Amino acid sequence: MTRCLLVDDDCEIRVSLSDYLQRFGMSVLGVGNGAQMRRVVKSERFDVVILDVMLPDDNGFDLCRWLRQEHQTPIIMLTAQGDPISRVVGLEIGADDYVGKPFEPRELVARINAVLRRAPAGDAERGDQPRSVKFEGWSLDRMQRLLVSSSQVVVALSNAEYRLLIAFVDHPGRVLSRDQLVDFTVTPGVEVNHRSVDLAVSRLRQKLGDSPREPSLIRTVRGEGYLFDAKVSA
Amino acid sequence: MKRLWRDTLFKRLFILMWVALVVSHLVAYNIVTRFVLDVPSRPPGGFRGSLLLPSLPPTPGVPGDPMMGEGEGTAGLPAQPPRVGGVGGRNPPPPSMHDDGPPDDGPRGFVLPTGALLLDYGVRFLIIGLAAWWGARWVSAPMRRLATASRTLARSIGSHEPPPHLDESNGTVEVRDAAHVFNEMGRELDDQFRGRGLLVAALSHDLRTPLTRMRMRLESIESDAAQRCIADVREMDELIDSSLALFRGVGHAEAAQRVDVLALAQSLCDDLAEQGHAVSASGHEAAVADAQPMALRRVLSNLISNALRYGERADVTVLQEAQSVTVIVDDSGPGIPQAQMERVFQPFFRAENSRNRTTGGTGLGLYIARDLIRRQGGALTLANRPEGGLRATLTLPASR
Repeated sequence: MTRCLLVDDDCEIRVSLSDYLQRFGMSVLGVGNGAQMRRVVKSERFDVVILDVMLPDDNGFDLCRWLRQEHQTPIIMLTAQGDPISRVVGLEIGADDYVGKPFEPRELVARINAVLRRAPAGDAERGDQPRSVKFEGWSLDRMQRLLVSSSQVVVALSNAEYRLLIAFVDHPGRVLSRDQLVDFTVTPGVEVNHRSVDLAVSRLRQKLGDSPREPSLIRTVRGEGYLFDAKVSA
Repeated sequence: MKRLWRDTLFKRLFILMWVALVVSHLVAYNIVTRFVLDVPSRPPGGFRGSLLLPSLPPTPGVPGDPMMGEGEGTAGLPAQPPRVGGVGGRNPPPPSMHDDGPPDDGPRGFVLPTGALLLDYGVRFLIIGLAAWWGARWVSAPMRRLATASRTLARSIGSHEPPPHLDESNGTVEVRDAAHVFNEMGRELDDQFRGRGLLVAALSHDLRTPLTRMRMRLESIESDAAQRCIADVREMDELIDSSLALFRGVGHAEAAQRVDVLALAQSLCDDLAEQGHAVSASGHEAAVADAQPMALRRVLSNLISNALRYGERADVTVLQEAQSVTVIVDDSGPGIPQAQMERVFQPFFRAENSRNRTTGGTGLGLYIARDLIRRQGGALTLANRPEGGLRATLTLPASR
């Protein structure tokens, strides 16, 4: 049973979201302000915290920073401020994900599950996920989803390419089977299969300037899968 | 009394003209009499004119000048000699031109030589010209500063920068007054715009909370109507997004970077193709433009979703040219009536044939798109394709 802590000052959102998440086998405790949140976090353990940015007594960003120092619980920020700056701020101070209001309830569930999937791999792994990583002259900004080449050209990635590249960057020097890649890149509402993984790999190679005949960055390991052959640094 | 000493534009102009004219006359006169005409140091006795004040001298060498010595046969006399006595006090130069002898007694029929005449004119011309040029610049400088500041003001208000400030402590009274009024106006405008931006941000926040509630409530209703309501919630959310973008000037704070335009177009198209839309992207691979990545993404995604919404499909072509990168988005819809081609860029305007259909849209997309592109030094135009459908053409400066 996943235990969620929902921090939102709007009573009806708390109630309806709790009901909704319970359908997906989560137990939800809803609190309406920052002081309450600080209290319950001390006495109970949660698997994930869903935190509204605008609270009557506290700023969600401050709460997020405080929570991050005290606990390793994954945090998803909820906010009605839809601008990208507050998204970046939220993620920089340690939130694991960000959902703008009004959100699709199903999307929130998917994000919660994604955050939980990442979390059990160990707090350490999540902790050393820097905002941007470098490999072979490229740099990838996770928050803004920007891939910048060694000659400072911004190369945009599609969602599928981005998810795949993240999977590779998180597992450099390891052979990843197509099944594993499907698992790593699966996302609600989109069908991910071996064929779509292959397609995304070839597009990613093209964008990374990797020759399709003799790829050196994303190598094909016959019968096994793909290998991301690069040193990844923060 | 204090009023009299104030540094006014009137006084500056008055003094400038007065000084320029007087100086030009004096200098020209002195040069001509001293260096061109051979001047003996004896005052010309025959002229009462020698006592004339150094008032503005008449044009030299003009016969019959009324200012010349009265009663004498003035016809041929040079104009200067009588006045020199007054000017220099010490060297009253007689108008000796062709002979060295004292020419002062009696009227003699001779004229100022052409050389001296031209020199005299030339010197006056030069000095008055210089003074006029310098003075005009001097007097109009505050005007230019005001014009520059006004241009900056429009830009800074639009892009949420502090308004320009004019120096209020220098210049004439009029200039200082204008600077003061201008600075006050800039502050006022800035405050108002900031206030409006805050209002819109607050509104958007307060609207999104009930929208979230509504969205959650709809989740518990299983019906067609609920699905349509969900679509409405999304549309309202889009409208809030666009309004926010409008007032916050999305993309302004973003730094320009070199952007691979084809990769951007492809990634947007791939994402849409994943959701089953009819999109394609092709073009020159090395097309790199100087642009704000997020803003450009927003614009392109707007053009492509417009093409899908009104024209069933979107075909994106990226072309690298010498100085620019061009992105063409074609659809196969009905296009836009020629008369409305420019009006679709106005905020909240929607073409007639789009209103009749339940296509949604906020009417802000193209307005914001053009605004964002212009800020990056690009252009966005629409045209009907001869083979049917609409073509949106976006030009950006190429990266060197």
